[in-house]
Amino acid sequence: MPADGDRLLRQAITYGGGWTIVLGTAALLGAAAELLLPAALGLAVDAALGDASSWWPLAACGIVVVIVATDTLATLAGGTGTARTTARLRHRLLRHLLALDPRHAARRPVGDLIGRLVGQAADAGQAGATVVLGLTAVLPSAGSVVALLLLDWRLAVTFGAGLVLLAVLLRAFLTDASAAAGDYLRAQGRIAGRLAEALHGARTIAAAGTVRAEIDRVLAPLPELRTHGTRTWTTLARASARTAAVAPMLQLAIVAVGGWSVTEGRLTPGQLFAAVQYAALGAGLGTVVATLNRLVRTRAGAQRVAAALTEPVRTYGTATLPAGTGRLELCGVTVRADDGRPVLDGIDLRVPAGTTIAIVGPSGSGKSSLAAVAGRLRDPDAGAVLLDGVPLCRLSRTALRDAAGYGFERPVLIGDTIAEVIALGRDPETVATVAGPDRVPREIVTAARAAAIDEFVERLPDGYRTRLDAAPMSGGETQRLGLARALHARRLLILDDATSSVDTATEHRIAGAIAAHADRRTRMIVTHRVATAAAADLVAWLDDGRLRGVGRHRDLWRDPDYRAVFQPPAVPGPAPAGQPVEAVR
Amino acid sequence: MKAVVRFTVGALRRRARPLGRLAGWSAAEALPALLAGQLTARALDEGFLAGRPGVGLAWLGGLAVAVVIGAIGTGRAYARLGDVVEPFRDELAGRVVTGALHRSTAAGARPDTAAVARLTHQVEIVRDTFAGLVMVIRGFLFTAGAALLGLFSLTPVVAGVVAVPLAAGLFLFAAALPAMVDRQRSYVRADERLGETASAALTGHRDVAACGAQEIVADRVGRQVDRQAAAEQALARMAALRSLSLAVGGWLPLAVLLLAAPWLVRRGLTAGAVLGALVYVATGLQPALHALVQGVAGGGLRFAVTLDRILSSTAIAPPVRASPTHPVPAAPEPVRARLRGVTFRYGPHARPVLDDFDLTLTDGAYLAVVGPSGAGKSTLAALLSGLLQPQAGTVRLNGVPVDGDPAVLARHRVLIPQEAYVFTGTLLDNLRYLRPDADERRVTTAVDRLGLGALACRLGGLGATLEPGALSAGERQLVATVRAYLSPAPLAILDEATCHLDPTAEATVELAFADRPGGLVVVAHRISSALRARQVLILGDGRPMLGRHEDLLTRSATYRELVGHWLGEPETARPPRPLPLGG
Repeated sequence: MPADGDRLLRQAITYGGGWTIVLGTAALLGAAAELLLPAALGLAVDAALGDASSWWPLAACGIVVVIVATDTLATLAGGTGTARTTARLRHRLLRHLLALDPRHAARRPVGDLIGRLVGQAADAGQAGATVVLGLTAVLPSAGSVVALLLLDWRLAVTFGAGLVLLAVLLRAFLTDASAAAGDYLRAQGRIAGRLAEALHGARTIAAAGTVRAEIDRVLAPLPELRTHGTRTWTTLARASARTAAVAPMLQLAIVAVGGWSVTEGRLTPGQLFAAVQYAALGAGLGTVVATLNRLVRTRAGAQRVAAALTEPVRTYGTATLPAGTGRLELCGVTVRADDGRPVLDGIDLRVPAGTTIAIVGPSGSGKSSLAAVAGRLRDPDAGAVLLDGVPLCRLSRTALRDAAGYGFERPVLIGDTIAEVIALGRDPETVATVAGPDRVPREIVTAARAAAIDEFVERLPDGYRTRLDAAPMSGGETQRLGLARALHARRLLILDDATSSVDTATEHRIAGAIAAHADRRTRMIVTHRVATAAAADLVAWLDDGRLRGVGRHRDLWRDPDYRAVFQPPAVPGPAPAGQPVEAVR
Repeated sequence: MKAVVRFTVGALRRRARPLGRLAGWSAAEALPALLAGQLTARALDEGFLAGRPGVGLAWLGGLAVAVVIGAIGTGRAYARLGDVVEPFRDELAGRVVTGALHRSTAAGARPDTAAVARLTHQVEIVRDTFAGLVMVIRGFLFTAGAALLGLFSLTPVVAGVVAVPLAAGLFLFAAALPAMVDRQRSYVRADERLGETASAALTGHRDVAACGAQEIVADRVGRQVDRQAAAEQALARMAALRSLSLAVGGWLPLAVLLLAAPWLVRRGLTAGAVLGALVYVATGLQPALHALVQGVAGGGLRFAVTLDRILSSTAIAPPVRASPTHPVPAAPEPVRARLRGVTFRYGPHARPVLDDFDLTLTDGAYLAVVGPSGAGKSTLAALLSGLLQPQAGTVRLNGVPVDGDPAVLARHRVLIPQEAYVFTGTLLDNLRYLRPDADERRVTTAVDRLGLGALACRLGGLGATLEPGALSAGERQLVATVRAYLSPAPLAILDEATCHLDPTAEATVELAFADRPGGLVVVAHRISSALRARQVLILGDGRPMLGRHEDLLTRSATYRELVGHWLGEPETARPPRPLPLGG
């Protein structure tokens, strides 16, 4: 894994291209100039006092120009290179993540994937800048110590001792600050918690007209927050006072030791000034630690991005479908859970074209897995699935997309507007039309009507153009939009509990619309409802990963085990809902 | 951005006294900056160069004393910072909370849940960056001022010459500031937008795969990636510009001094004075400007952008409407609610949810509202309780129009929404929320009547503190119904308020409310609620229809369908639980 990360890191450095080279050159040149400047300044001082060539002031000015120019260039090159590298890494990772086998993607929390795409890709994108700056940042600081040593070893010793003292004092601060910060965060959490509660009950508060009182209640812990907040500043004050004393003292010590050497004739006044400047530059050694931190972060980021890039993607074939209306065959299909336990075990099932097949069975019997392999939402671990005689894994992405569609129990709607949501599974032209300013295509409206969501959409402020975030939706409404999205499928429509949150009357309407489809495509419906099973041409009854029976509902119904699939589990306590009605009458 | 300046200046003005103390300590902090050059010059000229190192060390000792005083000043200044920053944060937090609650309770609004992040995240960014900005700016003013003053005391000519490029650099930087803020804002927006789109796409990974839409979605999110990169590059160009202004303001004075030095020495400036002048410029002015530019361009921009977002997203709600002085009828009117010709739609182009709708509820009314999901049941509840205003027609409660003060409306009706509000506090406080003067006996009676007794017992009585997170959704709903039951309002509106209760508990609640004096409207979640009610209102396809259960079975096909699908299935087919009516 670290090897993958380091390979990606090297690639990332090349992603910056010319900008990384510009950055490297500028940074190197800048570091050299920075290191030379104090010496040149010292000589310029001596020149003013008549002890050195009168060109030194000009030379020092020239070095200043170089520093300014390289600094400007390095800033520009660093930022631009990082932006480009990050963008390239993100494009690569994004395409990879979306192409992942859904099964692999589902194993990672979405937040983790987003973190890699947004956060860690940005860290890794700094590869070029971090490596270049990491190599060059040491130069001026380390060089200063050498310069001090060359000027007078006493200066170097003084400097070293001061630096150690500074580091110790800064360390002490880190431990101090965290205690006060903890109390502060807790008080803040209380206010945030109260606000979240009140927002959750916004409708009650609006109806009761108690907004003022609620504001006071939420803000009640504010004085406490202020107390802890003030404490964080006092802690900071102690640390800053210490730093404020030590850093100039270090400089003073250099002047004192250097001054002594001036008296003794070991140093000129110009060299003394150079020593003061080198001491300031050398104090930048502290920032080397920061650079190292950045390098560690960049490397960690690259490793996490690389780890995601090694996950296998799913591949598509190139085949298209022959003429047909959705004959579906499952041959010896086995699907295993992550722990190797079979979820589906050697399923053989032939669904004639144009049939409606209901998949029933107790929960955990493998219904959703069967639905998933039937339209290649996942590949079986063994066996094959054929649509009109062609194995699904040999179909091209376009062929598969046009042939099969999925309705889910909890669909995730993707797109800016309602129309874009419905168009997602269609051909790219339709998707582009929908995103444009033209009229919403007829097929989108037709699909919405078939899914019984048209009235809901038409009542929204901008109809089909309403933005998704401006359309509050219940679970049933989300399901129906998800269903409308799937209805373009030409040969195979798979509904995995896709109308479970829809009221029965509406479900009836949807079933009618789907059945009325002109092509008589094949429909596979995972359901818990007996009415749906009864209305299907064929029922596949699953039990513990195996087909317990395939046949017509009324034939299977004779089997008490089959009937038990639809029986309510014994719920202790609540009486049947009908009874209180009689009590009223 | 004007709002940011106005808000910040206003806040600083209100903190004039603490700011004054901060300035006093900052002056002490600047003491070493004021004396560094002078004392170094003396130490060299009168001490080290004159062959009297003892004298030199004595002058440096004086400087060391100044450094200690300066450090004390730094410490005190930081300690005083809290007096400026903490009240500033308090104001902002108050603003976020006030804005969020006002907006979330406005007509037709949805809870502004982003406000919590605004409070914990954005307000904290502003607090930290504001503190940093205050420190950096005052640090620059005092240090640079002290260094210039010191330089003036050494060589007035140089001080004058140095001040010009310094001012020019500052001017350049200030001129570029608005553009920098702009770039920073687009950068932050692009970053957030990328996070949102990527999150939506990856949350729906299964759905993207099922739709074969990997390419389309990758392109869509990819556009945000490119936008983010463009914003980042624009930011890099701004940063380059910044280092140019640093060149003018920070490096040019040094160059001027170097070039002028030989001439100054010929005019009689001592070696120590030349060194002192360089110390003022190189260790006083230049680092101060550097810190200012870095601080403002880093934290300062974040401050401006984040504060701007807070201010624009918490724009203070319009002042509370003056409650109109409607004559409150002296004698209680038997008509509890009257809707006349009410038309309501969610947008100008949207189909109306209710069209020219009439409804009258008298004392003792018990109405169930049924219909498929999306039929407008909750909209009717909101109109009836005055949370929404119709585009046409009138709604009156006890003869009073519903467009007034919500606190007045609360005396006429109580609405219990689906999402029950329970807050951290005692059970008693939660229950007396709508009637603070209710005595404990009355509360206990209500608790027993609605079936909350077991929960109250489990929690440890009425005085026990509630943790909303520890209650189930049903338990929260039960608390909310008892609270509403205690309310003085005669008309109760239950908007799917009992959907998380089991059918028996639901019946208990509804029957208790039916016995309560006044009227009751139940937006039904299960068909059983309709069977209990005296009258049923069907919303859905076509005109709304009102009638008794038996009438509607014969008159309304929609109703027959709703009831039939629930009751008509064979015994074996009955689903494990009553079907939800809505989504």
